[in-house]
Amino acid sequence: MDTMETAEISEISTIQKLENLLLVAVPRDMTDSDVLSLRRQVLQKARRYHSHWVLLDFSRVDICDSFFGRFIQSTARMADLMGANVIVSGLQDMVVETMVELGMTLSNIQAVLDLDEALALSRKSQTDSASISQQESDEQEKEASPADSQLERSTSIDMPLETRSEV
Amino acid sequence: MAEESSNRLEFSIKELPDVVRARRRGMEAAINMGFHPAEANKVAVVISELGRNIEQYAGEGTIILLTHTGENRHIQITAEDQGPGIPDVDRVLKGGYSTSQGLGLGVSGSKKLMDEFEVRSVVGKGTTIRAVKWLR
Repeated sequence: MDTMETAEISEISTIQKLENLLLVAVPRDMTDSDVLSLRRQVLQKARRYHSHWVLLDFSRVDICDSFFGRFIQSTARMADLMGANVIVSGLQDMVVETMVELGMTLSNIQAVLDLDEALALSRKSQTDSASISQQESDEQEKEASPADSQLERSTSIDMPLETRSEV
Repeated sequence: MAEESSNRLEFSIKELPDVVRARRRGMEAAINMGFHPAEANKVAVVISELGRNIEQYAGEGTIILLTHTGENRHIQITAEDQGPGIPDVDRVLKGGYSTSQGLGLGVSGSKKLMDEFEVRSVVGKGTTIRAVKWLR
């Protein structure tokens, strides 16, 4: 009975590609082995699809303990080594209240409200890094900087969406 | 005058699905006795942290939930095991101390989420943690 429930839990986790985003619907009540296998699937697919952003959607998660916090943090660190940024979305109000009071901090992880905001963020960074690389080639071939340092600088630069087609 | 009554739920903890079941039942019990969902969520997380510790360090143990309704409404979580015990309880309560998979927040964080929190541990004999949340 219990093993069946666990098996179902693993299966309802969905990972989908959308533009340069990898969308991960994090299931509730994961055991440690579910967590490990989800993280591996996420990294594998981030590599396969060359995802720049990994969106962990927590809207289904209603209990988030310190182990789960560690999962978010470690996934972010690993994704970072692959040149992808992790963003979280859909954290429930009661979950964040508990997380903060428990003392959990998730450093270097951006949070967005929903998928629309995540898409806007990933599209903006794509546009901006395109505009930066344009500037850089204008300044005669500077050394290629890592993707996320470009993103850091990108926030102040606004370029129209059309420039994306020039990438 | 509301009638005093208490209800007892006992969960045997041997593996993680036991912890998952206990924390979910704990959250339901807290909501049913009138806790705000955000408070019930804290009860669930404390059960989860303490249950994980049992599974990880002692291998097996028990979580007992007592819900008291009536005048002094509260929920009490007791986590008991006959595991290796905690050599330095004060250090564990201060936090940032972890030998395992968590964020080093398990016990110290749980204390912050509850109104009363008491750890009794004897090295080589086991650990009992009792935590209470009052419904105000």
